[in-house]
This record gives sequence, C-alpha cells and structure tokens, in this order.
Amino acid sequence: MPIKILSVDDSRTIRLIVGRSLRPYDCILCEAANGEEGLVAAAREKPDIILLDVTMPVMDGVTMLTKLKSIPVIMLTAESGRDNVIHIARLGVRDYLVKPFKEEQLIDKVGRIVQLKRKEVSAPTAAPVPAV
Amino acid sequence: MQGGVNYQELSRRYGFAPKPESASRLTQLVSRQDSDLDEIAKVINKDPVLRKRLLRVANPDAENEIEYAVETVEDALMRNGMGCVLVLAMGTPLALALTKTFQTMLSLKLEMIDPSEAECLQGDHLLGTIHFSGKVEGEVYLRMNIASARAIAAGILGMSPEELTDTNEIKDAAGELLNIMTGNFKSNLCDAGLDCRLQPPEVKLSNNFHTPSVAGGGVERMALRTGKIHLFVDVTANPWND
Repeated sequence: MPIKILSVDDSRTIRLIVGRSLRPYDCILCEAANGEEGLVAAAREKPDIILLDVTMPVMDGVTMLTKLKSIPVIMLTAESGRDNVIHIARLGVRDYLVKPFKEEQLIDKVGRIVQLKRKEVSAPTAAPVPAV
Repeated sequence: MQGGVNYQELSRRYGFAPKPESASRLTQLVSRQDSDLDEIAKVINKDPVLRKRLLRVANPDAENEIEYAVETVEDALMRNGMGCVLVLAMGTPLALALTKTFQTMLSLKLEMIDPSEAECLQGDHLLGTIHFSGKVEGEVYLRMNIASARAIAAGILGMSPEELTDTNEIKDAAGELLNIMTGNFKSNLCDAGLDCRLQPPEVKLSNNFHTPSVAGGGVERMALRTGKIHLFVDVTANPWND
C-alpha cells in the first residue's frame, strides 16, 4: 500500500514543490488549500501524515491541528517565533520545517515518520488527488 | 506534550537555523518603549551597513550621500525617532529571509544593492503586498518586473521560463516568496515582544507604485539583485500601535 500524504497549504507553489519532492516515492499525495478543506480531506482520505501550513485563509493550520486526532503532522511554515513554536509543540505536532526548505529536508523529515519507498522504474506516476 | 518545554530544546529537535543576533538585539531595543537612544546609536554605529541604511531612511528625498541633510546616526534618531529604527530592525530579517530563500530554493546568490543602482521598474510590474497589524503596524511591498517574476517562479517550480505561461502561477510564487520573508520577520518581531498578525499576501500588476509615507513611523526601501533579476522591498511601520 502506498503511503498517503496530505499537503495543506494555501500556496499552490508550495503544494507543487511538495508534489515534486515526493514524486520519486511510492505515495499518494492529496491536497487542500486551507484548514477547513484539510479537515474534510483528512476525514475522507485518512492520510498517514499531514504537511500543514500555519497562516491560511478560512481556517489556519493551528486551528486545524487542534481538531485532528492521531494523524502525525509536520508543520511547514515560515513562522518560527518562540511562542508560536512552543504553542504548536504543545498541541502535539511531530516535527516542524521552516520555509524556505530544501526538498531533501522535507523527505528526511517525512521519512522519519513514515516509511518512504522509492518507486520502481516501471511504476506509473501517482496523480495528485484533489481535495474537493 | 507536557508543559515545561523550552524553545532552545525545540529548536534543536526541529533543526532550526540560529537567528542573526544583531537583528534580534536591535528589535529588542526598539521593542522597549523606554529605550535609550544612545544605546541604539552605539549598536547602529558599530555596523556600517546599518548606519548607511539608517542615513538613507533619514534622508528620503536625497539622490545620493552628498545631498544628505541628516549626517549622523544621533541626528537621524533625534529627528526621526524610533519609527526609522524599527524599519531598520525589520529590514534586516526581511532581506536575510529573501536571500536565504533564493539560496535554498533557487541556488542563487542575492546581494543587497543601493536602490539608486537598481534598474527602475518601467511599465507594468508585479506588486506583492502584505499588511501586518498588532503592536506594530505596516506593510511590506515586494516589487519586480514581469521577466524577473517569471524567472523566479520558473526556478522555484523547476520549469524553464518559456514553459511558464500561467500568470496565476507566477503571482502565486511571488506571493509565497513574500509570505516566507514576512513570516521570518514576523517571528523576529514577536520574539522581541512586538506581537503582530499577518494578512494573506495580495499580488497584482501595477504601473504606478509609490511607497506611502507614514506619519510618526518609518519607511525603508531596499533593492536586491542576482544577475538580471532585480527586486525591490519597501517596508512601512508604525510602532506601538495598540
């Protein structure tokens, strides 16, 4: 079974970078553009891990985090202020990656939580699953 | 996770890069409403780049240093107050975040240049704006010509500029660039006790941008360059808004 990863970020650019980083691996990428869409996608897709931005319209990442149960989350944000990081850590986030990041850093952090396997050469490319 | 967790421990666990001490020190000094101007002047006088930037902020109408009416750090602080120091303190993490983003995501070395040395933006160009509010209120503007915006977006997305024809993708990449640099500087302000909130970025085409003046606050214009890519960053700030 491929690993299922949910990327929640209002920036399409970041979602594209996440998708490009994960392309060599056997995984299914789902996407959402804000916390509200993210919760719907998490309930429907039951991802193995969530990559979550903080500042988003409609519902921010911290609010979404408080409503999640038992899915490991890596925060992917430019905000690394002391109080913010401590607050988010107390909500039970598994890891924290500050933007800008290198693709290898993202793979390293995801790989510490779920087992990423490289695709076999002949395997078809997994298409992104839209959130809605 | 239980209480008692501290930031240093989390920074190590998450692998955060250390924050630049000079920017943090200046922000902390500015955040104290009873800050001693002599103490701030000492910090700025020790750093030639900061000194040069302060004098440029204090002489907004001068074309070059010969035209400066305000010539010393002490004069600049007396005449312009803390507003101009605040934009200096904010400009450093903004420029560092932008430089780091270019290095990390595009493998390009961005250098800060005097705005008068940068190519002026002619005609339509991309203008990104982020408004922040709280104990400090203001705007960060990021401007670049269309060719620069296309080259940056293409680099971030791993495409050639010719392949990138979707204007929305170019705008989204510029907005994310603005988000990353502003998120980093917000962290610096919040750590110094100047809590503020960011609004989502707004990116549009513009052909007649003028940096607004801020009564009682400060305005700084910065320019950065790598190859043919020129970027302009303008910051306006009003301290102790609430």
